Amino acid sequence: MEKRPDLSVEFLGKTFINPFLLSSSPVSNSAKMLERAFEAGWSGVAYKTLVTGRIPIVHPSPRMHPYHYGETRLMGLQNVEQTTDRGLKPNLRDIAYLKKHWPDRVVMASIMGFANQEWADLARACEDAGADMLELNFSCPHMTVEGSGCKVGQEHELVEKFTATVRKVVSIPLVAKMTPNLADMSIPALAAKRGGADAISAINTVKGISEIGLDDWVPRPNVFGKGAISGYSGPAVKPIGLRFIAELASDPKLKLPLSGIGGIETWVDALEYLLAGAATVQVTTGVIHYGYRIVEDMIEGLSDYMAQKGVSRVADLIGKALPNLHDTGKFDVAKQGVAQYDLDRCVGCGQCYIVCRDAGGEALEWDAAKRRPRQIEDKCLSCMICGFVCPVAGLITFKKKPASWKRRPTVTLG
Amino acid sequence: MSDTKQLFKPEDRGFDFGTAVAEAGRCLLCHDAPCSQGCPAGTDPGTFIRKLRLRNVTGAIRTVKENNILGGACGVLCPVARLCEKECAACGIDRPIRIGKLQRFLVEQSWRTDFRVFAGRPRPAGEKRVAVIGAGPAGLSCAAELAKLGIPVTVFEARPEAGGVLRYGVPEFRLPKAFLEGEIADVRSLGVEFRFGKRIPSRAAAEALLGKGFSAVFLGIGLWKASRLEGKPRDVAGLLSSVDFLAALRDGRKVAVGRAVKGRTVAVIGGGSVAIDCARCALRLGAQDVYLLYRRSYAQMPAEEDERQEALLEGVHFLLLNQPVGYLTDPRGGLRGVSLRRTRLGVKDASGRRRPEELTGSDWALEAQVAVEAIGNEPEDGLGLIRADARDCRTAKAGVFAGGDIVRGPDLVVRAVLDGKTAARSIARFLTRGRSPQKAAR
Repeated sequence: MEKRPDLSVEFLGKTFINPFLLSSSPVSNSAKMLERAFEAGWSGVAYKTLVTGRIPIVHPSPRMHPYHYGETRLMGLQNVEQTTDRGLKPNLRDIAYLKKHWPDRVVMASIMGFANQEWADLARACEDAGADMLELNFSCPHMTVEGSGCKVGQEHELVEKFTATVRKVVSIPLVAKMTPNLADMSIPALAAKRGGADAISAINTVKGISEIGLDDWVPRPNVFGKGAISGYSGPAVKPIGLRFIAELASDPKLKLPLSGIGGIETWVDALEYLLAGAATVQVTTGVIHYGYRIVEDMIEGLSDYMAQKGVSRVADLIGKALPNLHDTGKFDVAKQGVAQYDLDRCVGCGQCYIVCRDAGGEALEWDAAKRRPRQIEDKCLSCMICGFVCPVAGLITFKKKPASWKRRPTVTLG
Repeated sequence: MSDTKQLFKPEDRGFDFGTAVAEAGRCLLCHDAPCSQGCPAGTDPGTFIRKLRLRNVTGAIRTVKENNILGGACGVLCPVARLCEKECAACGIDRPIRIGKLQRFLVEQSWRTDFRVFAGRPRPAGEKRVAVIGAGPAGLSCAAELAKLGIPVTVFEARPEAGGVLRYGVPEFRLPKAFLEGEIADVRSLGVEFRFGKRIPSRAAAEALLGKGFSAVFLGIGLWKASRLEGKPRDVAGLLSSVDFLAALRDGRKVAVGRAVKGRTVAVIGGGSVAIDCARCALRLGAQDVYLLYRRSYAQMPAEEDERQEALLEGVHFLLLNQPVGYLTDPRGGLRGVSLRRTRLGVKDASGRRRPEELTGSDWALEAQVAVEAIGNEPEDGLGLIRADARDCRTAKAGVFAGGDIVRGPDLVVRAVLDGKTAARSIARFLTRGRSPQKAAR
């Protein structure tokens, strides 16, 4: 058999057999479930967030709602899930069990305190149970308990204080999990670093409303007549997650390893997070949609990609897109191009004509007899929207024009 | 007969909301949609599929029903593979959008959600009333269109219920009764009046209505006489025409027909859609063997490709290149078999299909206890096809219009719908003679 690329990656002094972890959520709720996840190939887990037993946790019912787009199911997922409702002790026993039976997998215990002492107690308990590292949950967007979740993540003094509290009582690495529900993630990330965090994970769910009932006018999920602004996740949030990872990875003051989260379902999504600067990635909504089995395709897909690209280590991919990431002000706008059409493959639907006329440069005419578009090249804006709606892959492509080429100005009426 | 009832359950459940939206999601949303150009009745699939895609389900239903009052029946019965779906641009990628099924879905969705397109519309209140003769596809379409234009209309139907060929000529497994009732209810909701069991005996009697409270007459009487094999006996027990056989299954004689067919060998003569329908019904009634006797070969059969395939898969024996030449009877006058003569295909005839040539000395007999002649429909006795202008459905007599099969000869339901619409608009112009139809309605 051919030699497969090594997918292992170092993160906070631990070797992960691949960069694919489960994030803290219902998919990491118990050792019984996680054994199956590990069998499927996941390298580690951010274990479902633990809290002290002081306040009983009861999940709202129902606790999730899908955002379907046309025939595409679960473009997004909204949830009002709380932290674990299992109690601290059973979870600590499960963590110990996993470390005993799956020594090559990494267990990162996610914790959330409602006060300084609770953070310290939880951290110690998890370290004692054998957790390899801790993830500090500063980011849950819909905790029903005041003074917790992303309300902490939005107050950088609290982030620093709680991180420092935990740092004092344990020696295992600390990962601070960030909320995307703010303008600049560097502020809480740097606060976590000052408090002693060793890495940052991002993003937790985006605050949103996925759907509103048209008959009852209740935002979803409809929890017995009440809705809430709550956590939105899934493929729809991937661009937001990639943005924050790339910004954190580019921040010269931060310089911490990153764990990327947000809309990852496939090896392609995961690879994009690696290229944007994440060393590991975490997945929940993809598993909620397809089950643990998706990791098989993430492993095989990334490994084939690396073999084809001649990349031998995952570490060699991390942050590789960052040198190509610029402010828009750095673009060379002297260089221009147009859309070009391979009309031999055209099926004559005319969607290009419709969108160019109504949202582009009015650069297409319609030959009704032949059912083909006819391009007036010097009116093409190169927005490329024609290519987005064309049902034939690769029929419409971008073509660079010589420096002497000039675009016709937009017509002015009046 | 509970078993026959079961057998006549519709096989295709149609799309549900999710599958319909998914199918609409495949649509390329063409500019100047070719599918819409491919619909003879102007149902405009390009528009109703776009509406469905954009979650405007009620609007999509409205488009179907405003354009085609029998949009549901057409969605089920149309040979879409040579109409709208043939023109679908998605054929250039892999396969067409299933337009017929989407159209049917929208009509069923209107009933499921009780979204009535014509609810609350004022009833026709014009002074001039129109008589529509025949409650088949052409008549229903004409009546609905007239009512939408505000013109009062009375439909005269010889049979006890509306639908024409949709009820008495199409088997229930293809067009369920409840479906047809829903579609007729939509016509009624426009304020169309019906008089059932009211046969207008002749063309002269129809034209005479012009002086009896009706300002115009539309003839949509269809073709209700079965063509028969020439020079063959007709009074053989077990020998039926397709018209009798199919109508019997819809008008209460189903049990008797079922008893005659169950466990027997049935020979259906013909190669068109009606012959296929008869053969498939015979199978569903429990016939031991059903033979389809056709004098040309498979490729020349007028029946649609999918119908032929389905009949074959269900177990109809296609006995091709055989010409029925006579019936064999037992001493009591009951059918015993069909005499057949083998044929071969010669040169093309006027229909463009290769002509069957009988092979002398090849006669043989197929044992059968029931035979159904399904070789075509023609106008009832005393009537010929009616000549009418295709552009406005006018006949030679002023104020009398005609459309559907009685003008075209055997043709599609969707073309009868077109004729009904064309005639209604033409009638409205005739009634107003220059004034707008809306004014005439007042």
